Amino acid sequence: MPLPAPLTGEQVYYRCPPEKLDFITTEDLEDLEQPCGQDRVLRALEFGANMQADGFNLFVLGPSGAEKHELVQRFLSQQAARQPVPPDWCHVFNFRYSDRPNVIQLSAGEGQQFKGDMSDLAEELRTAIPAAFESEEYQARLQELQEEMARRQHQGLSGIQEEANANNIAMITTPAGFTFAPMRKGEVIDPEEYKTLSDEEKQLIEAKVEELQKKLQQTIQQIPRLRKEVRQRVHALNEEMVQLTLGGPIGELREKWSHLPTVVDYLDAVREDVVEHAEAFQDSDEGPPVGLLARYKVNLLIDNADTVGAPVIYEDLPNHQHLTGQIEHRARQGNLYTDFTLIRGGSMHRANGGYLILDARRVLTQPMAWESLKRILFSGEIRIESLERLYGLVSTVSQQPEPIPVSVKVVLLGDRMLYYLLSHYDPDFLDLFKVEADFEDDLDRSDDCYELYSRMIATMARALKMRPLERDAVARLIEHASRLAADQRKLTAHDRVLRDILSEADHWAGQSGADTVEASHIQQAIDEREYRASRVRERSREQITRGVVMIATEGEEVAQINGLSVLRLGASMFGQPTRITATARPGKGQVADIEREAKLGGPIHSKAVMILSRFLASRYAGEGELSLSASLAFEQSYGGVEGDSASVAETCVLLSAIARIPLKQSFAVTGSMNQHGEIQAVGGVNEKIEGFFDVCREAGEIRGQGVLLPASNVEHLMLRADVRQAIAEDRFRIYPISDINQAIELLTGLEAGEPDSNGEYPEHSFNRQVAERLTRFAEVSKKQDENGGSNNGGGRSSD
Amino acid sequence: MLTGRVLVLLDGSRMGYAALDAAADIAARTGADVLGIFVEELNLLRSAGYGFSREVGAASGISRPLDSAMLERRMRRLAQEVEEALARKVSSRGGRHELSVARGRVVDEVLALAGPQDLLVLGRVGWSLVPGSRLGSTARGLIRKSSSRVLLWSEGMVSPRNRIIVFLNDHADANHRALQAATEASRYHQLPVTVLLRSENDISADQLEAIRQDLDVLGAGTRVRVLPATDPDTVARVLREERAAQLVVSRECSLFTEPGADQLLIALSLPVTVTP
Repeated sequence: MPLPAPLTGEQVYYRCPPEKLDFITTEDLEDLEQPCGQDRVLRALEFGANMQADGFNLFVLGPSGAEKHELVQRFLSQQAARQPVPPDWCHVFNFRYSDRPNVIQLSAGEGQQFKGDMSDLAEELRTAIPAAFESEEYQARLQELQEEMARRQHQGLSGIQEEANANNIAMITTPAGFTFAPMRKGEVIDPEEYKTLSDEEKQLIEAKVEELQKKLQQTIQQIPRLRKEVRQRVHALNEEMVQLTLGGPIGELREKWSHLPTVVDYLDAVREDVVEHAEAFQDSDEGPPVGLLARYKVNLLIDNADTVGAPVIYEDLPNHQHLTGQIEHRARQGNLYTDFTLIRGGSMHRANGGYLILDARRVLTQPMAWESLKRILFSGEIRIESLERLYGLVSTVSQQPEPIPVSVKVVLLGDRMLYYLLSHYDPDFLDLFKVEADFEDDLDRSDDCYELYSRMIATMARALKMRPLERDAVARLIEHASRLAADQRKLTAHDRVLRDILSEADHWAGQSGADTVEASHIQQAIDEREYRASRVRERSREQITRGVVMIATEGEEVAQINGLSVLRLGASMFGQPTRITATARPGKGQVADIEREAKLGGPIHSKAVMILSRFLASRYAGEGELSLSASLAFEQSYGGVEGDSASVAETCVLLSAIARIPLKQSFAVTGSMNQHGEIQAVGGVNEKIEGFFDVCREAGEIRGQGVLLPASNVEHLMLRADVRQAIAEDRFRIYPISDINQAIELLTGLEAGEPDSNGEYPEHSFNRQVAERLTRFAEVSKKQDENGGSNNGGGRSSD
Repeated sequence: MLTGRVLVLLDGSRMGYAALDAAADIAARTGADVLGIFVEELNLLRSAGYGFSREVGAASGISRPLDSAMLERRMRRLAQEVEEALARKVSSRGGRHELSVARGRVVDEVLALAGPQDLLVLGRVGWSLVPGSRLGSTARGLIRKSSSRVLLWSEGMVSPRNRIIVFLNDHADANHRALQAATEASRYHQLPVTVLLRSENDISADQLEAIRQDLDVLGAGTRVRVLPATDPDTVARVLREERAAQLVVSRECSLFTEPGADQLLIALSLPVTVTP
């Protein structure tokens, strides 16, 4: 197999030639209205925003920092501007059931008018009705009524008194009532004297007294009825006065709002209520009770008077109350009171008829918010209930406002994991969020995309109110976008990182007194970010330089190789070499993964070791038995190992251990391998190469060191300038390998060797030496087995 | 200025106790002694002495036997309650008091005790609170016959917008006494005074100006109105318009002797001071 040529400087870095950028500074570029490369999201948003059927709410998923919110807000605002303004909603007092406020729907802007009209009406009631009660007409009629009633009440009693007096009988008042006694000349006859009267006289008197008593009894018993009649007639009079007073203002309002039957019905209810409470308006000094007039207020829950198009609402604290609204209380002398005027709408109310943007994670972290959101979307109406009632913690009487029908398109923003978890665990989720808008992580990099990407950078720069960027600076940023995407053919779509670099570059440009941002400022921003995040990396490298962590970068060693690993810390990642060692001796075909045994290896790593074990068996043991007891270890690794990117290195070090052939320590190896010995791509190649490069440089001069990496990873290379420089000067080499034999040959300098038709490897080839050594292992094992077997057999026979 | 005692007619009724409150207030303000008068009415005692006597309940209309022993017991209990109330209300204001318990006719007994310098305070009706009856016969008799000033008390809320109304006629002495009573009432209630005249000719302009100034103890101004008519309805209307809190009227006043005066007092539910 021919050995691959080391990569050139052009192959390890895909430059963005400034001449392909047709502008001088970003000032020359127009703003980009839609983000480039996000066609899938835009089509999903367009579909979701216009789809009318139930459940077609959106979940916009993508990595954090992709500026999902800005894009969605901008897109929906454009959509919403073309849509009609939704209606106003208000709560009014329910005169039939006072704890269930009614809801009235009005056209946008009418809510304020209606509220004003009702406020004016209440003010008019406050003055006009007491005035009506003070009027001469009312007072005269009331007096007539009272006098008539007093006369009727009095007539009965005075009639009896007169009748008694006419019969010489006195009607005398006692502390508790009345009594009758015979009298003479205005004085009651002394009982002793009465005894002297004839029996006939006495009989007459007593009969009359009895008759009078009965009459009096009847008269008194009629008094309650008379009183009730008075009350009824006074009430009727009051009602008549109020009706007359209210006729004008309520009539005008009825006329004005005749196009809304609910308002007309409400006005009629107000009139009836005022009439019913007419007496409460009578006190002209104090005025009618405040509580009574407050019932005629209008609680304008949603006022769309100034709304243009459909609303687009972003709720940054999507808890239950903020979403569904709440009923507030007012403290009065230590007690809490509420009424319909204290009902407050939530963001669902405000977004009704439009769009509501929510952060999925925040909704899920607020108690009951997710359940409430789903309930509203399922039922299509908002029912305001307090959290404590939902939990059943309080059962005091409160307001139960009439639910408001809701038609809102909810747009949830979240990362992908959340979307897939919700799809899996919440059976309602896919019923309610049928539109998935998935953000691209990367954009395709091609000559055509440079203009769009440059305009995107220009748009960002203007939004950040920063200095314009020079063409070179844009080119450098585009190259860095490829590095961030870890792909020569891609550009990162993470707005946040680009924005941060732009802001920082602008800062450095300002520091240097430049009017524009140049490539050097972009580079400085990148370097400074790297530097700020480099503390752990430098400590780690220092351990290697000081020899605490042992890494050899020159010479040859048996059963020892430099693997490459990547560490991710927060937003930054870096690569560093790790020594991998192996041992081999005759055994039962086992390759012990020490990392796994020590529970420091992850499942993918274990899988890779198993693959290499089967690769060894199939390649070298042929039809025979693989007699090997080998072990593999990542030396001085205490934090665990995962991934299969070390399987090429592990294979090579194991073969070195078996054949006792030394490996060049000037190379570091990365790459995954399949059971046929083919090399497969891995991740983090840029960081790994740069990590090894740094270690080599710190160990001394860079002189012929290099990295073996999968050929399929070449297009992911976007290496640092100093690494490229060393490559150009042939001091540092990167070999793209596609087969394990290439790695063997590069690491040992020996021919790997292809098997002939008998499966025999060429004389002196690496593979031949491995195969021969394994054969020796097999023989030793066989001999041991036979000895052990005869011993055992002897043992049994001796029994 | 009151120089005699404050006499208050007590019968154990609610109105009687309200009158006691007013009397105790006036006494506390003027430093006068309070003489409570409790009269066991002869006619009532006699009427209970008949074998066939029955009492018809004023509220229920139920008829039940009435006898002297029961009535006597009731009277004694009432007298005791009245005495306790008198002691409590007057003593709490730091005044002196005395209760006179007599048996006979109420009007006679009261007139026998009352001197010209005294003020007699009484409720409009006693416990003979017959629905529709707004003025008891006792009150009526005392107003007509008493030589002292009579305050016919009636409970009501007083607000700063109310006024004291004094009714004047062409009788100079009577007017003088009425004005004196009105000034006192004005000072007591802190309310301005309105003077009602039957005709402009009753009093000369100079006199009227002097009256205005005398009455203006609060500095809020004195209003003078001439009645368009003196029938009870008109007077009642004017009194309502003026937001009368108390009416001061001389017994000599022709209005008082006109037919329908009772009706006027029925229509008015406010304290009335009748000066001799």
